[in-house]
Amino acid sequence: MTATTMPDSVRLGFGRLLRSEWIKLRSIRSTWWCYAILVAVTVGLATLLGSAVGVPGPDDPTDALYGGFVSINTASVSLTALVVGVLGVLIITGEYGTGQVRSTFTADPRRTGVILAKATVLAVTTFVVSIVSTWIGVLLSAALQSAKGADIVIGDPSVFLPILGSSVYVTLLALLAYGIGLLLRSSAGGIAVTVGILLVLPIVLSGIGNIMAQQWVLDIAKFLPDSAGGQLYSYSYTGVQQDGVVLNGWGGFAVLAAEVMAVGALALTVARRRDV
Amino acid sequence: MAAVIEVEHLTKQYGPKTAVDDVSFVVRPGSVTGFLGPNGAGKSTTMRMIMGLDRPTAGRATVNGQPYRTFRDPLRQVGALLEAKAVHQGRSAYNHLLALAATHGIPKSRVHEVIDMTGLESVAKKRVGGFSLGMGQRLGIAAALLGDPKTLILDEPVNGLDPDGVLWVRQLARRMAADGRTVFLSSHLMSEMAQTADRVVVLGRGKVLADAPIQEFVAGGAANGGGSRVVVRTPAPDQLFQAIGPNASITPREDGTFLVVGPDAVTVGNIAAQVGVPLHELTPVGASLEEAYMALTRDDVEYRSEGTR
Repeated sequence: MTATTMPDSVRLGFGRLLRSEWIKLRSIRSTWWCYAILVAVTVGLATLLGSAVGVPGPDDPTDALYGGFVSINTASVSLTALVVGVLGVLIITGEYGTGQVRSTFTADPRRTGVILAKATVLAVTTFVVSIVSTWIGVLLSAALQSAKGADIVIGDPSVFLPILGSSVYVTLLALLAYGIGLLLRSSAGGIAVTVGILLVLPIVLSGIGNIMAQQWVLDIAKFLPDSAGGQLYSYSYTGVQQDGVVLNGWGGFAVLAAEVMAVGALALTVARRRDV
Repeated sequence: MAAVIEVEHLTKQYGPKTAVDDVSFVVRPGSVTGFLGPNGAGKSTTMRMIMGLDRPTAGRATVNGQPYRTFRDPLRQVGALLEAKAVHQGRSAYNHLLALAATHGIPKSRVHEVIDMTGLESVAKKRVGGFSLGMGQRLGIAAALLGDPKTLILDEPVNGLDPDGVLWVRQLARRMAADGRTVFLSSHLMSEMAQTADRVVVLGRGKVLADAPIQEFVAGGAANGGGSRVVVRTPAPDQLFQAIGPNASITPREDGTFLVVGPDAVTVGNIAAQVGVPLHELTPVGASLEEAYMALTRDDVEYRSEGTR
């Protein structure tokens, strides 16, 4: 009956789980849709803005030119963050919703390995797709801006870092959404919470903070994933004063990464124990 | 380590409801063990606890000597079909199996093999969402066979299968057992078990009602049901049945024979000889497993639909 004899090496391994999760990721249509939208929005918006936005005059500070260029290439981020957020939720809630998770946890009954492998595949794929599409956009928009006489040094850290940061940001958001999805198990619930954290909570907090004129409420809002992570892809203009707590790029990265770790650790602990 | 499933005092509570109540049994290699019980008796929950998917409230389950969660090659140890379509609807059967195989480094040739074995060749590249229940079952069985496991656990494997498929599952279970593997399959259909299992564990409302070789179980059920059963054909029924007396229940059948329940074939034959009645047929019939099961679980059916029989 059995033609293939099983090699003794047949057993679980993290590299093998990565391969398995890669097969799973690429064999679902929603993955391709989400990444196609990510690429189209990133490249499209950078090209559109690169051709539409005017170039500052030679007497304007470098900040205006560089800051403008960073904005051109990160304008798509708030949209792509939502797209990877949805993908991050669906990649795991799709397993719970269809019963696939029982097959998955039967193959790796300790669960930790497969949960981390899925997160790794999601993060690496998202980062690669984001960085490739972002830098295609950068090259196109740089060419369009140069044609208008702009002299942009892409290699300047003040330009290079925030554009790179935008890919780090969407990757971290995909992971945050994955953690939320793992915790809630429901596609609708996971997407609602993710969108709520990204879009609704910042508006609510800033509204309350402004109406009550309470700086501490506004300071809390700065630690939301959207706001803290926003520092990752913001151009640092010199001499701009802000009230209350100020996060720079690295600070924002640390806050968002800590949030991702916290949600992820909680979700992993719960998912390991939960009946499926 | 011998391929056995050992369940010790396994208990699962969902809030105030006890789904599995202090269940203990052993499933041994080289034979097919049936897991019987009405829907809602706790069979699936017990199987999920064996597979480490649900945590027991108390007690423990081991497979091949250790808890399933502790294996580094779980798919080599146990192949399980826990429910139809434990598969993402958007993925093809082939990719589903390929991804499962990849977790253990199982060669791709094995994926093609289980696809052939389960007759899925023509639909392997199609999305699982469009599968019939029967094809979903075949895919689940293909996944269970991937690691060429020592132990096979199948929850309601014949659900939704056509007669060919039912026969195929029966033969597969028999063949795996003959190979020396442990085969544990659940069903709420007695007739199916009668033809497949060597031994049965019967569950009712979360408790073990019986754990016995199938003949013993059937014999016990016959005792419950009121004695032996014999089919008799005779040209002088009135004379014979008068001689047998009132302790037998006699039912005429469509083909002109009579079903006699109570005395066994030897007794009926002797009485016929004594009174000089010719017998054209005298056939002992075993009590059916179905009847034994019904007798046993009569009080333990959680959801009984009124008026179905």
